[in-house]
Amino acid sequence: MLAVHGLTRQYGELRAVDNVTFEVPAGKMIGFVGGNGAGKTTTMRMIMGVLAPTAGEVSWEGRPASPGDRTRFGYMPEERGLYPKQPVLDQLTYLGRLHGMTQRAAHGRAKELLERFGLGERLKEKVEKLSLGNQQRAQIIASVLGDPVALILDEPFSGLDPAAVDQMADLLREHTSTGVPVLFSSHQLELVDRLCDGIVVLHKGKVVAQGTSEELRGNAPLRYVLSLTGDAGWVRGVPGIRVLDLDGGTVDLEPDSEEVAQRLLAEAVTRGGVREFTRVRPSLSEIYREVAAA
Amino acid sequence: MSTNTSLKPETSVETGAVTAAESAAKSPWALVALRELQVKLTDRNFLLGTGVTILLVGAVFALQGFLLGGGPPSFKVAVTDTAATTVLTQAEQDLQASDPEASVDVVEVADTAAAEALLTDEEVHGALLPAGDGWELVTNGETDSQMLSVITDAVRTTALQQNAEAAGTSLDALTVGTTVETRDLSGGDEQSRFVAWIAGFAMAMLFYMAAIMFGMAIANSVVEEKQSRIVEILAAAIPVRALLTGKVVGNTVLAFGQMALLGAVALVGLTFTDYDQYLSMLTEAFLWYIPFFVLGFLALACVWAAAGAMASRTEDLQSTTMPLTMVLVVVFIVGLSLDGAAKVIGSFVPVLSTILMPMRLLDGSAQWWEAVLALGITAAFCLLTIGAGTRLYRRSLLQTSGRVSLKAAWSGGE
Repeated sequence: MLAVHGLTRQYGELRAVDNVTFEVPAGKMIGFVGGNGAGKTTTMRMIMGVLAPTAGEVSWEGRPASPGDRTRFGYMPEERGLYPKQPVLDQLTYLGRLHGMTQRAAHGRAKELLERFGLGERLKEKVEKLSLGNQQRAQIIASVLGDPVALILDEPFSGLDPAAVDQMADLLREHTSTGVPVLFSSHQLELVDRLCDGIVVLHKGKVVAQGTSEELRGNAPLRYVLSLTGDAGWVRGVPGIRVLDLDGGTVDLEPDSEEVAQRLLAEAVTRGGVREFTRVRPSLSEIYREVAAA
Repeated sequence: MSTNTSLKPETSVETGAVTAAESAAKSPWALVALRELQVKLTDRNFLLGTGVTILLVGAVFALQGFLLGGGPPSFKVAVTDTAATTVLTQAEQDLQASDPEASVDVVEVADTAAAEALLTDEEVHGALLPAGDGWELVTNGETDSQMLSVITDAVRTTALQQNAEAAGTSLDALTVGTTVETRDLSGGDEQSRFVAWIAGFAMAMLFYMAAIMFGMAIANSVVEEKQSRIVEILAAAIPVRALLTGKVVGNTVLAFGQMALLGAVALVGLTFTDYDQYLSMLTEAFLWYIPFFVLGFLALACVWAAAGAMASRTEDLQSTTMPLTMVLVVVFIVGLSLDGAAKVIGSFVPVLSTILMPMRLLDGSAQWWEAVLALGITAAFCLLTIGAGTRLYRRSLLQTSGRVSLKAAWSGGE
């Protein structure tokens, strides 16, 4: 398990990361969300040890993470690139060796992953000759090359086409299924919602919310949409119901409780045709906006 | 680097991973150094440049050999009687006094016609034939002036000797008081001073060129990693110190290799010229030069890396490496122009000593212990610059936006 305790980074007057504490349990995928400048990249750099924390610590398997541990973490930095003038296979082999693999193992693994990502024909091509999308794929391979024990990925999905997003998602699931903890940051909240077991929301350097998306939603108020064949104006008069929006036969509402909602539905049925009665689950972006605004 | 070796791996999978991490943690710098070598040694421009330089150095010596020397003087002369043989033996002795490898070969023939036949066939360079009271030197076409003068002298000496004996005295008695000895206050003779100066200049030039070329290569290799943004992946995979060590070691090996290759070509080339009598003196000086070259290069290597780290694009390199280029230009010019006490003092100043101490060893004005002392001072200076260079490198490596000022790099956090 990867964990950070009280991680803090001060840049002059600015406290970019402020007392951040969270865990990435083994085999779990944790989404790291927050606006630009929230401190995600700084936190990830401190986890990888490329940036020294002002305070706090990163722990791996219950003890402070050593440089040796970190050599075995897979990392995709926000600012990323490869040697433009070196053939892609050679270069990935080199990166694998830096992570402690033998020449043979690194070469084999790099080739296997390149083939899997549809780059089997371009092994000897220089990176600068690859399309942007293919460079991204090579970048992904670089981060998972050394059989990482943990994955720290800064915006791994940005710039990927839908096919590559699916390939990436599969790759991440493969890693979590073998017990590797994965932390990735993203602005694509739907994707985070779809993939992640848990979410950490960072705002102005502080963790403002964390948990599973269910847990985060649990705090959100109950909300329904009711759509009738006739006019829905009468709903305004029902006690215990707060109408958020009313448009002809459709009403967006917040009941005080589940019982109030059920009574409303029963009344609607007796009054005439009900087209739709749907529990509205707030999207992650709505939750995010709410916690970020708080 | 602190891989926890006391930690007992629990499963076989774990064992493999820990071993792998350990081996990477042990020598990632070696992987970086190997990559530096590989990139340079497969760079066509670098290979071409080195090849052309070696060819040029070889050509200089080949030309020297062909035009000026052509090996030791060696003449083949036909004779018809033993008196001529005596003269030629004397001529050979005279020649060997200045060049031990010189030779005069005697070919004995029956008569003048046979001698002339050999000349026509260009089998011999000349024929020494009796003519009246004296001698006749017959040649075919151009007469070698050295052959003419040495044989003329030998004829005179032989004749004088015989005449002296006939008069009841000896040649030594006749020539007593006719010798002129020379004494040069500067110590060595003109030629050896010239050779020492040329060799010193060549070594200074070689250091200057290599320091700039491979120093720039270090800075370039650092900024390339920053510009392409791969640096953060590297810094996360291995310690920044290992990355720096690998670059410095790789380029030092390259600089040393190129220097050794050029030095070897020059020394081998020397054996084909008239200057081969200086071979042992030059070889000794060159062996002293090697540690001065390596330490002089190392003294600046980490600073070159720092200059590379302070730039964020190749375009910035010119300004961040300017102080280093200036230092080397000044060292080169000052090194060549210093004289007297200033030269002695300069030969102990780090980097400057790489140029001046080999020169002083060449002209014989420095003792071996002075060279060792100068090397010690440079080694101590290296520790300083490596420390400072590493600090600047570490603190500016991950600043990928714009140039980093010296002040910011020095005081910035990691």
